[in-house]
Amino acid sequence: MTATRTAPAEPVAPAPVRHTGRNAGMLNALAPFAKIGMVVGGVLSVLGAYLAWSTFVLNKGAFPERSTLTMFVEPLGVSGYRLHLTVLGIAVIVVALLRIPARHRIVRGLGLGITFVALLNGLWIIVEGGGFGAITASDGTVAFGAVVALVGGLVTVLFAQAGGLEPRPEWTWRLPWWAEWILLLVIFAIVLLLVAEVLTSGGQGGVVNPYAGVVFLSLLAALAGAFAALNASGLLGWVAVVSERHRVFSVVVLLVCALALPFTNAGTEYWMTVASNIGVYAATAIGLNIVVGLAGLLDLGYVAFLGIGAFVAANLSGAAASVIGIHLPFLLVMVISSVVAGMFGAIVGSPTLRVRGDYLAIVTLAFGEIFVRSAQNNIGSLTGGANAIPNIPQVAIGGLAFNESITIGAVRLPSGVLYYIAIVLLVSVVMLVFGNLKYSRLGRAWIAIREDEDAAAAMGIRTGPIKILAFLIGAMLAGLAGAFFAHKTGVVAYDSFRFLESVTLLSAVILGGMGTIPGAVLGASILFVLPEKLREFSDYRLLIFGLALVLIMRFRPQGIIPDRHRKAELADTDPEDVAREGPGALPTEVEP
Amino acid sequence: MTEPQATSEQPELEAPPEEVIAELAQDMHIATGTREPILETVGVSMVFGGLRALSDVRFSLHEREIIGLIGPNGAGKTTFFNCLTGLYTPTSGVVELRGRPMPQDPARVTAAGVARTFQNIRLFPSMTATENVLVGRHVRMKQSAFSSLVHGPQFRRSEREARERSEKLLEFVGLTRFSDELARNLPYGDQRRLEIARALATDPSVLLLDEPTAGMNAQETEATRQLIFAIRDLGVSVVVIEHDTKFIFTLCDRVLVLVQGELLVEGTPDEVRGDPRVVEAYLGAPPDEVEAQIHTGADPAVGAGEES
Repeated sequence: MTATRTAPAEPVAPAPVRHTGRNAGMLNALAPFAKIGMVVGGVLSVLGAYLAWSTFVLNKGAFPERSTLTMFVEPLGVSGYRLHLTVLGIAVIVVALLRIPARHRIVRGLGLGITFVALLNGLWIIVEGGGFGAITASDGTVAFGAVVALVGGLVTVLFAQAGGLEPRPEWTWRLPWWAEWILLLVIFAIVLLLVAEVLTSGGQGGVVNPYAGVVFLSLLAALAGAFAALNASGLLGWVAVVSERHRVFSVVVLLVCALALPFTNAGTEYWMTVASNIGVYAATAIGLNIVVGLAGLLDLGYVAFLGIGAFVAANLSGAAASVIGIHLPFLLVMVISSVVAGMFGAIVGSPTLRVRGDYLAIVTLAFGEIFVRSAQNNIGSLTGGANAIPNIPQVAIGGLAFNESITIGAVRLPSGVLYYIAIVLLVSVVMLVFGNLKYSRLGRAWIAIREDEDAAAAMGIRTGPIKILAFLIGAMLAGLAGAFFAHKTGVVAYDSFRFLESVTLLSAVILGGMGTIPGAVLGASILFVLPEKLREFSDYRLLIFGLALVLIMRFRPQGIIPDRHRKAELADTDPEDVAREGPGALPTEVEP
Repeated sequence: MTEPQATSEQPELEAPPEEVIAELAQDMHIATGTREPILETVGVSMVFGGLRALSDVRFSLHEREIIGLIGPNGAGKTTFFNCLTGLYTPTSGVVELRGRPMPQDPARVTAAGVARTFQNIRLFPSMTATENVLVGRHVRMKQSAFSSLVHGPQFRRSEREARERSEKLLEFVGLTRFSDELARNLPYGDQRRLEIARALATDPSVLLLDEPTAGMNAQETEATRQLIFAIRDLGVSVVVIEHDTKFIFTLCDRVLVLVQGELLVEGTPDEVRGDPRVVEAYLGAPPDEVEAQIHTGADPAVGAGEES
């Protein structure tokens, strides 16, 4: 096994870093102490994890069941955020002492993770535990674990920054093919377990479980820190390269992993439902990604196509409330829903021949509104109006209704698993459509139109039909998802397709990264899991959403998993910090 | 995937190698050996509101011919180009390509075999050089909807052909080393060359170049001249708008001088160079002084700017 680094090699005797720009003086003064500073930060983080966090009995319930934030339940038990802080803190100390490339950058990632974990839990204690008294000394006991850990995180980040951020190394290790297969298998299995862990962390949110949200967010922050550190070390980039080398294998393993989710601790009816809903929105977001991400046409009424698909499916499902009253097979219903939604897509897209930019956005906004109002008024008795279309029969194939639980050998899988499997397959199909079209003549034409419509026309691209095609295909994908959605939820009401949903979908695409599949899936997952998890914050949900979006647009405008093209467009801000496509980058994104 | 140091390298300034030209010419298969004009306009006029931008312009272009279009700023050169490429519909007059009326839509014009570059570079900045050229192949690629959905055999064949052609074209303009580089990162002169490669990817019989040497130094201008000769050798006929008279007079077979929308003089470079009307129209100054300037090749259009 040989290792070569293509990034500039780290000098053997580290030359003193010269900072320029903001706070250069302070950073230069701190630079000689970077190593010791990082170790101190790590030690403080671990220490913080072991100090008492709150001596208050939380006002959500009786001690000790509901007051897991005290130190005194399990004096030495390390779990949850304490475990994360300990692991991250020890990692900081180890990495700071090792001579590995991109050391400071790795430590900075870990430090950011520590900071956010401490901040989230500290804030939670303040909000729910009785104000600032809860995180400082009280009851005669020292209880400022959160403060110590937060300081530890900040110190770590500061000294890592002072030490000078190195360029991200690129590894070119090559293993025998079977070793790489095993490696990918292990990595994807870990990803699967992490996904299950994240999904179920904190349990089902709501009044009975006020901790769900913060436990979930804290885990996310810890994982984000670890992710940033791995990314900084260049290992993620290497894994992406390896999975590119074994593209077909990776796709198959990823699909198998997705299908294996019911066998993990997420395999309960509730989480299967949540996962299926994410799937519906992920499929829709990928469709929207064609229109917005590839062709660059802003569509503010996109959820209408999901609605059209859902109402068409509801009317053809044999539901008692539908006026048509025929019952067609599920697969046929899906095709019809998709085609009808596609027709409406072409109609909405036709103004693009004349209207550009902001004006197009207004047209699509109006279309979305027309759809919701028409559905609300039960137009043609097709939508049920305020009564919705309830009692849509379950999908049944060969006498097996999809909401039944199934037993494979000794394993009994919960109800909803079949819907989950169906949506995984549906999302795979949608991904395939998107990925294959993106790297075809048509996909290039879309991107060219996004880049410069006049130049595209001068290259012989007939921009009108090609733009309408983007709307049509995007709407067809949403229509597919809509047909599934109708059967899965059993009720289709106009209320599910309001403007807010369009905005959330658009946010999912922008947040995840425009023009990429993993971006859209990740964005949809985040934006549709958060409401599940943050039930107790439901009053502030939109506020938190908005804030998160503002922050992401400010610090990572290209989205979490950026498209190569889009990344370049926005790279001027800070090319150093533009991360490579992570492990989430599905191999389908790889250019052939 | 490190950001390349595109700007630090010296551009290659050699003319395209003979064998590359021969191979490409065979692939593109453009020249038919006809003696009829390929592109012809009769009495083309263009009126914007009360402004007469072009009046009664007559023009013809033959196979493997390089025609230069000069004139002071605002003479209507770019307007004429836009009439040729379907961006504008002439108020009166006809534009014919190989004896057929020119379609009135830029995309169809390109499909019919007329490609162009822009005065201010208009590449697809966030696509790689190869992808830019591949977009140029759009018109000549056949991919059915189904085949591109499943990436079937037809798709793979057409994609492979397009990529091979792109490689050859990038080699032709000397940009092979930048093939995976984003267009926005290329040095200025190379962006112009990439724009030419992209236009050539449409297999044009006529290539319209709008100020191909604007902003270039003497060395780059010379390289562009060699490149245009090589393009002619591919069998493509070329029309060039340029302010640099020395460039035009050493490049073109025929030169047209447009002044205030009218075709003032047409002839060989020598004829045009010696015509006192040209000098007068260009500068409105006493001929003896300026004539010398034109002969020495200095750019008489002082402050040659955006619109022409």
